[in-house]
Amino acid sequence: MSPTMPLPAMASSVTPGPDAARTWPAQQSPAGGGRLPRLLPPAGQPGSDLAAHLGRHGPVPYRGWSARLIPEVRAAGLTGRGGAAFPVHRKLEAVAAASGRAVVVGNAAEGEPASHKDEALLRLAPHLVLDGLQLAAEAVGAARAVLYVRRDLRASTRLDVQISERERRGLDRVAVEIVSAPTRFLAGEESALASLVSGGMAVPRFTPPRVFERGVDGRPTLVQNVETLAHLALIARYGPGWFRAAGTPDEPGTMLCTLRQADGSVSVVEAAIGAPLAELVGRAGTALLVGGYHGAWIPAAQASRLALSNAALRPLGAFTGAGVLAALPADRCGLVETARVARYLALESAGQCGPCLNGLPRIAEALAELAGLAGRQPGPRVLADLSRWAGLVDGRGACHHPDGTVRFIRSALRVFAAEVGQHERGRCTAGNSPPFLPVPAGPSTDADWS
Amino acid sequence: MMHGITSSTALWYASRATGVVSLVLLSAVMIIGILVNRQGRLPGLPRFAVLGLHRNLSLLAVTFVALHVITAVADSFVSISLAAAVIPFVSAYEPLWLGLGAVSLDLMAAVIVTSLLRRYIGRRTWRAVHWLAYASWPAAVAHSIGSSKDLQNGPLLGLAVACILGVVGALAWRLARARAEVPRARRVPDLMASQRIPEGHAAGQAPQDRLVRAGRR
Repeated sequence: MSPTMPLPAMASSVTPGPDAARTWPAQQSPAGGGRLPRLLPPAGQPGSDLAAHLGRHGPVPYRGWSARLIPEVRAAGLTGRGGAAFPVHRKLEAVAAASGRAVVVGNAAEGEPASHKDEALLRLAPHLVLDGLQLAAEAVGAARAVLYVRRDLRASTRLDVQISERERRGLDRVAVEIVSAPTRFLAGEESALASLVSGGMAVPRFTPPRVFERGVDGRPTLVQNVETLAHLALIARYGPGWFRAAGTPDEPGTMLCTLRQADGSVSVVEAAIGAPLAELVGRAGTALLVGGYHGAWIPAAQASRLALSNAALRPLGAFTGAGVLAALPADRCGLVETARVARYLALESAGQCGPCLNGLPRIAEALAELAGLAGRQPGPRVLADLSRWAGLVDGRGACHHPDGTVRFIRSALRVFAAEVGQHERGRCTAGNSPPFLPVPAGPSTDADWS
Repeated sequence: MMHGITSSTALWYASRATGVVSLVLLSAVMIIGILVNRQGRLPGLPRFAVLGLHRNLSLLAVTFVALHVITAVADSFVSISLAAAVIPFVSAYEPLWLGLGAVSLDLMAAVIVTSLLRRYIGRRTWRAVHWLAYASWPAAVAHSIGSSKDLQNGPLLGLAVACILGVVGALAWRLARARAEVPRARRVPDLMASQRIPEGHAAGQAPQDRLVRAGRR
């Protein structure tokens, strides 16, 4: 970790929503690579327009040749910020080496209801994303660049205007087209994305072939989260050494996090990886949800001693994912919250594979019964059934939806073991309380996947 | 013909018996395989169990088929070479009917090997090869009835007919179901309809539309 890393690592924050441009005061920090924020404009400065962007970062640093940027990305150790933390240079290499003209897609599907970081980034620093898209296209020799943006985000941002302004000024070498993503939890899954951009429904398909071999229209396709592209644009300008000045040696850089505090307030911050979780989310009442709805619950007492890094979270079965941190207030029941989310996740299944279709509805129902949402006393075998069914769906779907859902539910059964005992005796510690974690409605017709 | 089991006829009897059992098991595997899809289920069995049953019965059937082939080859009552058991239509004895058995065996082998390697070959290849089961079973049925006098009359003929009707019936049911396929968006809700999960924690709590607004700003 760089000695210049500012503490707290929180640097810039926005409240998501149409009136999003509010920022918290940025932390005064020493100059150099440790200065945060990197992606989001410093508080009080307008960032989203092209002039401000060019004033802060200068023009797109094209390398003039494909694949030139890849060694720099490898040296920087950049990993995907969409949730899977896959090394970016490996995807770049695979797509650059694949035969046929590649397609590059910036992924802002942000299907995770608890996450708002892609939204914040597109509002506050869209040109960093668009720079990254151009640089990625150059690196893999792509002839086509797509920005895949959740439909309501596209409507509420000015991306179309900003792209045409870049075009008019001749900044972009590859024309960028915007494709609207449906508001589905799985719409950003790579193969679902490739299917939608190819004209189909945004539902996952069985792999192989992976999208880097055959993706959009059967072409080798690079799919990167928009935050990853923004980091890429900064690495191309300031170099791997600068990038590594924040974060940990194994997990360098910063990441955007969506914080849902126990008081219900929601904000997006850019934090150095390795920052103490306690600095980011104040006091979690009972537990902290890390990594979103495919992530895991961690007991509050444990969470307050942990850092924001996969190395720190892995032993607890958690990972940073797309940076969702939600502190469950003391007056809410984690089991009830989990049951509601599990139901949402079951409904968001694409309805294709056995594990999802046969497993998740049952698991969601059993969990609802256990949480007391089914309107009857939990049966004696509910807990045993839950763990058995969870084992049956693990690792068997076309995508990771069943695995992620089961991971989330298992962590809840572990962390809220005391509540489980209460519920089995027909008592809930939380009483009546409105939902804390956002649970949107599931799809109602097949058109909702396109 | 044979009169009683002796040391010299034991293998021949064993081969005929395992052949009949194989036919029944393979038909059961077919029936369950046809019913195993995302919407099929057997009465009284959870969906998971149907898939497990298909796999385990397949394993059992393969064991009996292997016994059937080994005993037939090892038996000296009629001379069937190992080659004739796997290469179609080269047998000196009943070349057509034994040949169909060999065809069925080879197709079965392809289905089994690809199922074992499913993780490595990808779902698409596996699925393509798995369709061969639909060719393997009729070949096995023709082989059974054609090469065995046992199955040509009496109760065993009834058994063979029952196997055929079972598979054809399952196929008809499946095709009828496929025509009335549930739309994607209804699949999970239909499965959860039996125990509808209330939205709020207790009566008078957040209705659906409030949840939506809370979730999507």
